[in-house]
Amino acid sequence: MEKTTKQSVLDGIANDLSHQYKTPKTILGSDTPRDLIYTPANPDSDYLRLIGSPGEPPYTRGIYPNMYRGKNFTTRQLSGLGSPEQTNERMRYLLDKGATGVSVLFDLPTIQMYDSDDPYSQGQVGMSGACVDSVEDMKVLFKNIPLDETSISIVTHYPTNTAILFPMFLVMAEEQGIPWSKLTGSVQNDVTMEELVRSGLEYISPKDCFRLQCDNISFINDNLSRWNSITLNGYNLRDFGTDIITESTIAICNGIETLTEMIRRGYTVDEIAPRMSFFFSIANDFFEEVARLRAVRRLWYRIMKHCFKATNPKAMLMRCHTQTSGITLTQKEPFNNIVRSSYQALAAVLGGTSSLHIDSFDEAYSIPTEEASLLSLRTQQILQTETAITDVVDPIGGSYYVEELTDQIEMKILTEVDDIEKAGGYIKSLYTNKLYDKISTYFTQQQIDIYNGKIKIVGKNIYTSDEEPEPIDVFKYDENVEREQCKKLEKLRQTRNNDDVEISLEALAHACKKPNRNILPYSLECAKARCTEGEIYKVIKQAMGLWKPPSFL
Amino acid sequence: MSRTIKILLVKLGLDVHNRGIITVAKILSNAGLEVIYLGNAFPKEIINVAIQEDVDIVGLSSLAGAHITLGREVIREAIKNQVKDKMKFVIGGVFPPTDAKTLINYGFDKVFLTDITSSELVNNIKQLI
Repeated sequence: MEKTTKQSVLDGIANDLSHQYKTPKTILGSDTPRDLIYTPANPDSDYLRLIGSPGEPPYTRGIYPNMYRGKNFTTRQLSGLGSPEQTNERMRYLLDKGATGVSVLFDLPTIQMYDSDDPYSQGQVGMSGACVDSVEDMKVLFKNIPLDETSISIVTHYPTNTAILFPMFLVMAEEQGIPWSKLTGSVQNDVTMEELVRSGLEYISPKDCFRLQCDNISFINDNLSRWNSITLNGYNLRDFGTDIITESTIAICNGIETLTEMIRRGYTVDEIAPRMSFFFSIANDFFEEVARLRAVRRLWYRIMKHCFKATNPKAMLMRCHTQTSGITLTQKEPFNNIVRSSYQALAAVLGGTSSLHIDSFDEAYSIPTEEASLLSLRTQQILQTETAITDVVDPIGGSYYVEELTDQIEMKILTEVDDIEKAGGYIKSLYTNKLYDKISTYFTQQQIDIYNGKIKIVGKNIYTSDEEPEPIDVFKYDENVEREQCKKLEKLRQTRNNDDVEISLEALAHACKKPNRNILPYSLECAKARCTEGEIYKVIKQAMGLWKPPSFL
Repeated sequence: MSRTIKILLVKLGLDVHNRGIITVAKILSNAGLEVIYLGNAFPKEIINVAIQEDVDIVGLSSLAGAHITLGREVIREAIKNQVKDKMKFVIGGVFPPTDAKTLINYGFDKVFLTDITSSELVNNIKQLI
C-alpha cells in the first residue's frame, strides 16, 4: 500500500524517536524545538515519488534518515606543500584544530609521475603539493597520523598515479602493522582527471587509462572493505570550465561506464557501487548548487535502480565530497573571497554534502598559509556548531523554487547523459573533439562575459576601487625542498636491493601488456621493493604506449 | 600596414592548469595575432622553438608555483642564446604581486596577473612590438 500520510513518512525515518526533536542553543536564539524533518501535512503521491523521506528512495532529501544529526559532514581541508615532512605537519595541525578528515595533495612532479630528481621536475619539487617518490616518503607523510582512526583522502588524481602511489600507501600501512581492512578513505582514480582536465607532457590512451581505473577499483574492492575505490570527479572539470550540468553529466557517465566494465569483469553492481563516491564543485549560483546535489542524488538512485537493477540500498546512494570553487576567487580585494567561499559552503551543506573543503581566500595567489587553512576549517566548524543548520534534515526541501529547480536540473543532466551514452559512452567521447570544443567554447565565453561585465564580480568589474590594497601574507615556496628530496632519492637508490627493483619492474611490464591482468599486485611488489614513482611510470607508459589527446584550440 | 605579430604560448613545466593559456590563445588569435601553442615545455625547448619559429613574443603561463624557478631559467636561456633583446618575454598566471616585481627584475617585459580584461591584454601585447 502506498504511504500517504505524514505519519507514514515519519515512520519511514529509521531513527530513534527520542531524538526527533532538538532544541538549538544559539546566541540570541529562542530555544524553539526543531523536528528532525519537516514535511507536508498530507503528502501526495508526487511528493513521495519525487521527494520522499531522507534515507529512502529516491533520496532527494538526503542519503541518511537523520543526516547531520547522525554524522556531521566531514571537515576535510586539503594539505599539500613542500616536503612530506611539511605536509605531515600541516595535516597534524589541522587535525589538532578539530578537522575530522585529512586530504593530501601531491606536488606537480608527483602528480605528473616524475621523480624529484628527473630533469622535468627541476624547479617544481614540492610545489602545490607534497613530493612523494617512494614508500619512504609515504612513511614520513603519514607519520603520527592514526591511520586506523582517520578518514584519509589521497588525492591521486589519475588512475595511473593511483596505481603507483596507492600501493605505496598500502605498503607503508602494512609495515606499520595496520591491516588494510582498518583503513578508511578514498583515492581519486579518475580517467577524467588524467585525460581531459590535465595539461601534461605524456598521456596514455583513454582506453588504457580506463583499464587502470578499473584495475584500481577491482584491487581495492578485493582487498579493502572500507576504502572508496573511485572518486567520480566533477570538480576539476567544472573549475576548468564547464557548467553544473556537464560537470554532473561527466561524473555520472564515468560511473555508468565503470560499472558496466566492472560487471563485465565479473563483479556485481551491489558490490562495486557502494564504494564509489562523487566530488563536486560548489560555485556562486546558490540555489542551483543546492538543487544540483539533490538532483544528482535522485538521478543516481534512478540509474542504479532502474538501469543497473541494484538491490543493495548502499549501491544507490550518491555520497559526495564538495569543494568551494577556486575559479571564483579574485586577486582584487582578496578578503572578499572569505565571504564567497562561506556562501558556497553553506550551499554545499544545505544540499547535503557528506564531506567539505573550503578554499582559502589567499588561494587566488598561492597555496594557503597555515592561518588561511585554519580560517577555512573554522568556517566549517562555525557552520556546524553555531548556525543550527545541521539540526534539521534538508531544511529547504519543499520550497517550490528549489524543488522545481531540482527537477529541471535532473532532466537537463539526464538529457546530456543520454547524448553521451547514445554516442557510444564516455570513454569513446574522449577520442573526439566534441567535448573538448564544448568545454573551451564555454570557458572562453565565460571569460568574455566577465570582461564585458555581463558576469558581475564585486571588486573586480563592479564596485571597484582604485586604492592600492594592503598586501596580504602569501605562502612562499621553500627552494631547499628539491635539494633535500634529491638527496633522499640518491640514498634510496644506493641502499635498496636493486635486483628486487629490476625483477618487480619487469613483472609489472609483463602484466601491463596483458589486458586481462590486473597490474595492482605487480605495482604493489614494485612499491615493496622501493621502486620510485618515476621508475614505475616509465614501465607503464612504455608497455602501454603514448597517445595524443584532442586539442582545446 | 603593420605586420602580423607572432607569439609563442607555453604552459610552463609540469603545470597541469591550462584553461588560462587556452583562453589567452583564443583571445590573441581572434585579435589577429599568429599564435603558436606549444603545450607543456621547459626552458631550453621553449627558446629553441622561439628561435626556429622566429617569434616576436614568448608568453608563459604558470599557476602552480614554478613561475620564479622556471621563469628565471627561460630568461637565462634566452640570454645564453642571444635572443633576449630580439624578442619580448611575458608571463602570466597565479602568483603573488611581489613575485610579479621579481619577474620584471629578471627581465620579463610584462607580467599579467588574473585581473586583466581581454582588451587590456591585447593592447598590452600589441604595444610591446
